[in-house]
Amino acid sequence: MTRIGIPRALLYYQYLPMWKVFFEHLGAEVVISSPTTQAMLTGGSARVVADTCLPVKVFLGHVLSLADECDLIFVPAVRSLEEKVYNCSKFLGLPDMTKAVIPESPPILETDIDISRGKNQLYREIYRLGRHFTRNPLKVKQAGLTAWQAHLDYRELMFDHKLTHIEATEKICGIPAEKPRTAVEDPASARTTIALVGHPYLICDEFINHRLIYRLEQAGNRVLTPEMITTKELESAIIRLTGGAYWTYEEEVVGAGGYFLQNEADGVIGIMAFGCGPDSLMMDTVRRHSARTKGVPFMCLTIEEHTAEAGVITRLEAFTDMIQRKKRRET
Amino acid sequence: MRISIPHMGNLYIPLKALFQRLDVEFIVPPLTNQRTLSLGVRYSPEGLCIPFKLTLGNLIEVAELGAETLLMPSGYGTCRLGYYARTQEQVLHDLGYDIEMIQLGVSEQKFFGLLKIIKRLSNGASWFDIISAFRFGMRKLNALDRMEKLVQKVRAVETEKGTANRLYDEVISAIDEADSDKVLEMVEEDYSIRLDQVPRDSQDRPLIVGIVGEFYVLLEPFSNFDVERELGKLGVEVRRTTFISEWIKFSLFLNPLGIKEKDRIHKAALPYLKRDIGGDGWESIGEKVLHNKEYDGLVHLAPFTCLPEIMAQNIMPTTRENIPVLTILCDEQTSKTGMLTRLEAFVDLLERKRRGSKCDRKMVAI
Repeated sequence: MTRIGIPRALLYYQYLPMWKVFFEHLGAEVVISSPTTQAMLTGGSARVVADTCLPVKVFLGHVLSLADECDLIFVPAVRSLEEKVYNCSKFLGLPDMTKAVIPESPPILETDIDISRGKNQLYREIYRLGRHFTRNPLKVKQAGLTAWQAHLDYRELMFDHKLTHIEATEKICGIPAEKPRTAVEDPASARTTIALVGHPYLICDEFINHRLIYRLEQAGNRVLTPEMITTKELESAIIRLTGGAYWTYEEEVVGAGGYFLQNEADGVIGIMAFGCGPDSLMMDTVRRHSARTKGVPFMCLTIEEHTAEAGVITRLEAFTDMIQRKKRRET
Repeated sequence: MRISIPHMGNLYIPLKALFQRLDVEFIVPPLTNQRTLSLGVRYSPEGLCIPFKLTLGNLIEVAELGAETLLMPSGYGTCRLGYYARTQEQVLHDLGYDIEMIQLGVSEQKFFGLLKIIKRLSNGASWFDIISAFRFGMRKLNALDRMEKLVQKVRAVETEKGTANRLYDEVISAIDEADSDKVLEMVEEDYSIRLDQVPRDSQDRPLIVGIVGEFYVLLEPFSNFDVERELGKLGVEVRRTTFISEWIKFSLFLNPLGIKEKDRIHKAALPYLKRDIGGDGWESIGEKVLHNKEYDGLVHLAPFTCLPEIMAQNIMPTTRENIPVLTILCDEQTSKTGMLTRLEAFVDLLERKRRGSKCDRKMVAI
């Protein structure tokens, strides 16, 4: 049985159930790398120039850790998910870059997801991906449809039960979260509600964000993340803030930021990687919006491999204290 | 209506000519200087690249001078650049300037879209006037780029360093002042001859260094610390395939017809990078592969945190076509002295390499 490696980084959090169902349906075995460790980050960083962003370094570290454990590594190039809305360069060329900097990796299973080029192109691309396992187009189609259904179920689960990506993958795929979440059961008992805004590969990777969710919950706060909001609401928030999306995954930053600054949250924390091109503009849009509306407080945390844990904690404490003071004053 | 556009190299000259012909008041931003950079840095979100900071600085300076309508390139499928106009508009509004920002999406609006914008700006001048003004602007642009190509060659071999640069500065202002096709032609001819006559070292076979990288930093000398002039001082001939006139010619006229100037370059890059990654990353890799026999080395210019160029920088060392590459990241923190030291070391390395390869050949001959 072919073993397909899926690195636990970047788009893993959004799409794992879909990918897993697709490959398993076609008779492959899916191997997932273990949660990020310091060794992975060091290994990934050593391969690329220093300015490369943290998530990509982490991704390469995961690829390195999978190198001996699988026959193929799945690295998709997600180019656009909506017409004329493109992704960051690092996603556009991810398979090429992985190949260039990790020449010893197993063959890379690459696929181009580009909706701007039309639906037929997408179907052809899915078929081409399936061809690695079967020559039967119907079987590929069936696998594709089942995978898509799995993805929809995954999204619905997250909206309905207000789950993070990690919890939902745990429920669906049985991949245990690193540390059990100590969620505040009753929303009313929570001291404050803090919304995290940013890409799942930052919010969900507990190693690179220093267990942000866990820390906030330990302090008695309820934590909300972008995947708990319906796509429709996120999109309408984008239109309100910027007039229309420019980046793929803009909804996770501008959409969620716009939504949480008006609804549900007492404070919003944006989390971005140092040197991230799209986020440097999108976070600024959110920051500017919050400064104009003067309603819900907003803080932006920039993380990179040198971020000190103590620094993050200090800022989190200061932020939550400020919100509580604000709340007390209002009541 | 007073309009303006941020600087990029000599682009202001053809635009000034175009709008003057249409009787539109066009404000040329003050030449990009330290203040422009400081303003841009102060009001930019952190983590943005130098093209954003400098263009924002330009926009703030022209807004101070009273410009009301600002043009800014944009468009999807490029890099962050497509988003700049939106953010810069917000910054300017937050600073209290009452301006209108017009986004020039060259890739999606094509030639007619652009002409329509010009028509709107010129209060409905006749199509004939617009097209003739546009052609005049294009002539100036082409003349400027032809001159620059000549100067790049002369700089490397002139016996008295600085002559070509002096002539180049003169020709820029002469082209700027030319008010008819005839004068323009005369200026061009005159200066071509004068550049040809610059005394040069005929024995010298200069090193050839290709300049590749991100569009804006290639074309805006302030952002790249005048790297081409500095290389010229070191006796190096600079080759560059990116010119505004070429780019406009292709993106406005030939690309819609299916002729792509970059096809050869892209094809060369295919074994290492199969897909367009936005910006000029694909081209940077392709040029390294394509010109490896022709160039002695490459200077790769990129703004700090540029998305496509970081990808290019990561992939470039793995190509089989192995010529030395010096990557220079441009940012407000970069120091010119540091860059000069690196350039000198790089040129020394190329010279040694060339001498070395000559010695090898001799030994084979014996």
